[in-house]
Amino acid sequence: MIRAILPGRLEYRDLAIRLVASACKLVPNSGDDFGNEVVSAFSEALNNVVIHGGASPEEEVEIEIDLGDDRLTLRLKDYGMSFDLRTVSPPDLDALPESGMGAFIIMSFMDHVSYEAGTPNTLSMTKVAGKGLQ
Amino acid sequence: MKFSRIDKGDGTVLVIEGVLDALTAPEIRPTIDALVEEKRKSIVVDLSSLRLIDSSGVGVIVSLFKRCKAFGGVVRVMDVQNQPLAIFKLLRLDQVFGP
Repeated sequence: MIRAILPGRLEYRDLAIRLVASACKLVPNSGDDFGNEVVSAFSEALNNVVIHGGASPEEEVEIEIDLGDDRLTLRLKDYGMSFDLRTVSPPDLDALPESGMGAFIIMSFMDHVSYEAGTPNTLSMTKVAGKGLQ
Repeated sequence: MKFSRIDKGDGTVLVIEGVLDALTAPEIRPTIDALVEEKRKSIVVDLSSLRLIDSSGVGVIVSLFKRCKAFGGVVRVMDVQNQPLAIFKLLRLDQVFGP
C-alpha cells in the first residue's frame, strides 16, 4: 500500500494528483485512459473534501492507494463534514452546467465507489484496468 | 497555470497552459469577464498545452461559451488532449466546442 498524509489545502492538490498519476502507471495493462480517468475522479474527490468538506485547512487528508494485478483502489480519508456523493443526482449535460459535475465524474470514471461516514470519513474508489468507460 | 490572449480584429485566441482547476480558475476569471464585456465575436481557446482540468476549470470555459453565445459570439476550443479530453468527452463538451 502507498500512503500519504497531506494538509487539507488546495496548494497540495497538484502534489497529491501527481502521486496518484504515478501510481496508475504501476498497474499492469493500464493505458493512458486508465490514468486520465483515475486522476480525474481523484481530483474531484479531493476538491469535495478540501473545498466543500468544511474541514479546517490545518486538518489532514489521508490518501491510501492499493495496487492490484488489474486494478487500483484509492481511499481518501478526511475529518470534515460527511458527504456521500453517491446521493447526488447526475447533472443535465444538455444544459451545459458550470458546476455540480464532480460526483458525476467520479461515478462515471470509477468502477466501484463506496463511502463510510465517520472519523474519518472514508471514500473508496476502485478502477479495473481494461474495463473502460461503461 | 499560464494563460495569454492574442487579439486580432474581432477575434481572440486564448491560450491556457498547465493546470486549470479549483486552485487556478480564479486567476483567469477576470480575463474571461473582460472578453465577455468587450463582446469579442470569435474566441478560440487553445488547450494544446493544458495538462489537467477539473470541473471548476470546465465551469470557466462553459461560462465563457454561454455568455458569448448570449450576444452572438462564437467560442471554439481546439487541441484538447489527454486528461482534459477524457473530461470533455464524458461531459459531451467535445461535441459542443468542436469545429
